Amino acid sequence: MNNAIELSNVRWRAGRSFELRDLSLHVPVGSIYGFLGPNGSGKTTTIRTFMGMLKPDRGDIRVLGMDVPRDLPRILARVGYVPERPHVYPALRVEEQVKYHASFFDLWDPGWAQELIERLGLDPTRKISRMSKGETGKLLVLLALSQRPDVLVLDEPTDGLDPVVRRDVLTAVLDYVGERNATVFISSHLVHELERICDWVGVMDNGSLVAELPMTQFKNGIKRIRVDDVDEVPVQLPFTLLSRERTNGVSTAETWIVRGWQDPMRGYFDSVGMTLRDVVDLDLEEGFVELLRSSRPQPSYRS
Amino acid sequence: MYRSMLFLHWKQINIPLIPLILAAYALPLLSVQGLGTPPGMDSSTLEAYRIVAGAQIWLPVFPLLAAVIGVTLALSAWNWDHQLGHVHALSLPVPRWRYALLKMGAGATLALLPAAGLWMGAHVATSFVDLPTGLNAYPNQLALRFLAATLVAYGLLFAMAAGTVKTTVWIISGVIGFFILGNVVTDFLVGYFPVLYRTNLLELALEALIRAPGPLQVFTGNWMLIDV
Repeated sequence: MNNAIELSNVRWRAGRSFELRDLSLHVPVGSIYGFLGPNGSGKTTTIRTFMGMLKPDRGDIRVLGMDVPRDLPRILARVGYVPERPHVYPALRVEEQVKYHASFFDLWDPGWAQELIERLGLDPTRKISRMSKGETGKLLVLLALSQRPDVLVLDEPTDGLDPVVRRDVLTAVLDYVGERNATVFISSHLVHELERICDWVGVMDNGSLVAELPMTQFKNGIKRIRVDDVDEVPVQLPFTLLSRERTNGVSTAETWIVRGWQDPMRGYFDSVGMTLRDVVDLDLEEGFVELLRSSRPQPSYRS
Repeated sequence: MYRSMLFLHWKQINIPLIPLILAAYALPLLSVQGLGTPPGMDSSTLEAYRIVAGAQIWLPVFPLLAAVIGVTLALSAWNWDHQLGHVHALSLPVPRWRYALLKMGAGATLALLPAAGLWMGAHVATSFVDLPTGLNAYPNQLALRFLAATLVAYGLLFAMAAGTVKTTVWIISGVIGFFILGNVVTDFLVGYFPVLYRTNLLELALEALIRAPGPLQVFTGNWMLIDV
């Protein structure tokens, strides 16, 4: 088993407004997979399909080598899940919710749950309805981690949290991963947050996976390049051209955003009669924005 | 798991259920109020018919209370899950049928509490009344009937409450549609089959439900605490 989570040609449609279109996604075992995308791009829907909460119209889903939905109880016993919106019962106290949740999981680690309660500064006697957003976020992470899962699925776990709580939550997750070599699937639209912790990245937009690649490639492979003497763009390019626009109205000078760039490709431009002026690194957020732009209907070209 | 589910349901329902348990306890006491032996009089002076007639006034309240408790238990069973979009329930490593069964079992167990309250109340109530020859008290039978009626109401509503509002609307519309369509078809068929003259589908269905062995028969049977 190479992939902890694997979706093949999954299609799911909600009326006419939204659909996942032939979604194929691969989360390598032991990776921290950042799932990026703007609001409404289908991140939560994708998570709900492989968590067995939504039934896809077609396609195959495997988690930890097991089939969804056939082996769902066995899968869920090994998956820790932090949903987008809190799913804990507001009328319970922290200790009651922990006890209730624990009773469903054979691998539950009460000692570690207690340690996390102390480490995250949660009051066991506090009623959940009276907790702040940050405290609720910590509780959700505590519940997911105390299951001792092989896969952690975090759906915007730090959305709306203050920086201190965000750091506490991410530290707890990273400590767990370091200790157990678990796979983490973390969705977010906070690009910089994922940049620091993820080693793989998938980008969703409008129900489709726009890109899926190692973080190093994502960070280093997307460039803004300035090219002169552009007459016609060749059909075959050694990289993916995400977008192009004229530079300052000069008819033959263009700025391109490219993916899959490697330094030896500089020589390619001479061979096709173009002049490469410069190559500029994009940070992750710029790269993310350019990827989204290129995936949306507009004048753009791809190799 | 079952204990956790029981605890969760209790947390949901304890505020409305405690008054209902007290009501179940008090109901038999109320039903014998004024039927005790007046001071200085022998119990034999009490007339049996007065006791039976007095207790009869409370007859409709027993099944009504059982129905209210059953409905309350059923609606509360899924209430929190509906509010959370069932996300917590669906992320648990148990098959959905088992989750529903655990939930149903927890509610059925809680139904024992008001039945136990009624049983105790019935025993206390009958101890206050000196029954003349020919009359007997039936506290155990009444409590059992009460429990059965509560469970029937709970079972019927539990299934409906498990679904979405849309599902409930579909079920109710389906039942209404069945009766309307059924009567139209019956009226049409009368021309060919005169035996169907004056056949009312709604009446037939209700009779099937409330007459033995219909599931609602328990609500219409003998609810007398004191009877011949």
